[in-house]
Amino acid sequence: MMLKKLIPPKQWQPVVIALLGAIVGLTLYIAQTARVTSYLSDDPETCVNCHVMTPQFESWKHSSHREVATCNDCHVPHDNVVSKYAFKAKDGLYHSYMYTLRMEPQVIKMHQPGREVVQANCVRCHNDQVTDAKMSSWVANHSHDRTDRACWECHREVPHGRVKSLSSVGYQIQSLPVQGEKKDVIPTWLKDALKNKKK
Amino acid sequence: MSSKVKNWLLFLATVTVVVLLAMLGSNITDRKSESQFAYQPQVKIADNDPRNDVWGKNFPRQYESFLETKEMDFSSKHNGNQLKDALAGTPELVVLWAGYGFSKDYNQPRGHYYAVEDIHNTLRTGGPTEEGTGPMPATCWTCKSPDVPRLMNEIGIAEFYKGKWFDKGEQIHNPIGCNDCHDNKTMELKISRPALIEAFQSMGKDINDASHQEMRSLVCAQCHVEYYFNKKEPVEGVPYLTFPWKNGLTVEDAEKYYDDINFSDWTHSLSKTPMLKAQHPGYEIYQQGIHAKRGVSCADCHMPYKTEGGQKFTDHHIQSPLANPANSCQVCHRQDQNELMENVYSNQDKNKEGAHRLEKLLVRAHVEAKKAWDLGATEKQMQPILMDIRHAQWRWDYSVASHGGSFHAPVETGRIITTGIDKAQEARIKLAKLLPKLGFDGEVPYPDISTKAKAQKYIGLDMDKLEKEKENFKETIIPKWLEAAKKREDAMGVQTVSSK
Repeated sequence: MMLKKLIPPKQWQPVVIALLGAIVGLTLYIAQTARVTSYLSDDPETCVNCHVMTPQFESWKHSSHREVATCNDCHVPHDNVVSKYAFKAKDGLYHSYMYTLRMEPQVIKMHQPGREVVQANCVRCHNDQVTDAKMSSWVANHSHDRTDRACWECHREVPHGRVKSLSSVGYQIQSLPVQGEKKDVIPTWLKDALKNKKK
Repeated sequence: MSSKVKNWLLFLATVTVVVLLAMLGSNITDRKSESQFAYQPQVKIADNDPRNDVWGKNFPRQYESFLETKEMDFSSKHNGNQLKDALAGTPELVVLWAGYGFSKDYNQPRGHYYAVEDIHNTLRTGGPTEEGTGPMPATCWTCKSPDVPRLMNEIGIAEFYKGKWFDKGEQIHNPIGCNDCHDNKTMELKISRPALIEAFQSMGKDINDASHQEMRSLVCAQCHVEYYFNKKEPVEGVPYLTFPWKNGLTVEDAEKYYDDINFSDWTHSLSKTPMLKAQHPGYEIYQQGIHAKRGVSCADCHMPYKTEGGQKFTDHHIQSPLANPANSCQVCHRQDQNELMENVYSNQDKNKEGAHRLEKLLVRAHVEAKKAWDLGATEKQMQPILMDIRHAQWRWDYSVASHGGSFHAPVETGRIITTGIDKAQEARIKLAKLLPKLGFDGEVPYPDISTKAKAQKYIGLDMDKLEKEKENFKETIIPKWLEAAKKREDAMGVQTVSSK
């Protein structure tokens, strides 16, 4: 009954359909400009869709973690897919409205939930370095004692360093994809020239 | 509620949704363009733009630190960034290189900033006066300038190598810089010289597989390597720059490579030995050392990170790490700076001692071989002796020409010198058996080569003539080259980002 009431009278239907189409089209256009699908991936380039993340991206890109870990390896949970995407969505939406409303701070700091996730991820990869399987069998609370302090209380430069504001990033032309991309170190002109080097 | 009011509400709700959507869209577009302006470069850098100062407009920190390679303020125990005459320091070198350009003039290297200026000024390039003259081929320009990739792109690789050094002089202007190692669009490291790519192919490897850390050495390996000019392949008669890497990267691998193709850089004017000149196998020797084995790249020590006003960037003042141990060595080594320097000097001193003994042996071998020729020795008698001299001097040269060898791989460098001494002694034993047969008894006197001038006179160089030719060249030709380069570069213009 309710639904039926929403359906407009016959003569208005074409107009309403056109209007709805316009709204959907506009939404699609916005989704495309905002690179919405990229948020489903693990590509670190996604995180610099907002340029305020450039210092984080650049400092990561110049760290050794670049070789083994993407942004998502540290900053979203990895216990299961559902919590991964739930956390991503929650965090991402928060970021998006802070950014859209121009409320982002000059220096970006992690909130408590983020800190917990990152700590868990440090331990996830470095478990063998911080805990000892033998000791955990006879030392009470061994695992807990070795992992309850935030790793970055001591490892303060890992991986972003202490200088994180926008002004800490120098000139650059564009942020680059690093992970998974097969890069080519030979410029195109040289590749062509090598093909006909006999000339 | 009447249906009229409801319709109005619906209308207003739709208007609000559309307006908000449009605002969001414009916000996203705004912020996207903002990100472009937040890091807006000043100029557009064209493909293969050779002008370092143009790149420097977008990357002032890197550029300004690159300009520091201009400095001539550092001298370590054995090297530095000053134009020091190596022949004056060790006149034996003049005899070892008799008949070859290096006996005329050989200086310790200055910074990259002087790459073009120093090749203009050295006596080795002579004083050519017109196209097609002079002692050196165009190939000698290959490592000197970011103009090289530009010109190769314009005329082709083989055409670039073709002809004399003089012929391309007008085209090469900017000293080693940005376009040699960086992609102009992404600033990623790139390989701009074909020889390294071809050397990888000859080893059955693809240079595109190199990791970023390896690239931080490979961009250096475009030039700081052993190489030769292949006049047969791929184009007959063109001295094509080639690395002898097919068999591997050790001194023996390269020696075998050259022996197999019967290659020699020149024939020694005293001993008539078909000689090899080691260029600067810095990358190959570094590969044999512990730093390379631990994954340390050239840039880690020669271009350590630097901060300025809180911004971290790579120091483009490429220099000896001994001039900056705090940022290069002490990042990993916690020892006292003086202790670290002493460790390096100790390795250098010890290898230098061996190398110097080998130099004296080689002078003797060349002089004794000359004596044997003078006494009427036959080709057949001399052949095994000359091969020993060739191999001994190749090893000596390989150990010293890579200036950092005693640091990069001290044990390997020591081993190379040791095997060199062995070969030199082999040659002298054979000579000692041959000379009596030719009717000579006693010791062939060691020549008086106590100064560079005496040594050059001994091997028969007319230095006055060479210097006069050079002076004439500097006065008449260089200004023309500079003028032509200025004209060419003015015509290139600079495209700012705001201009269309």
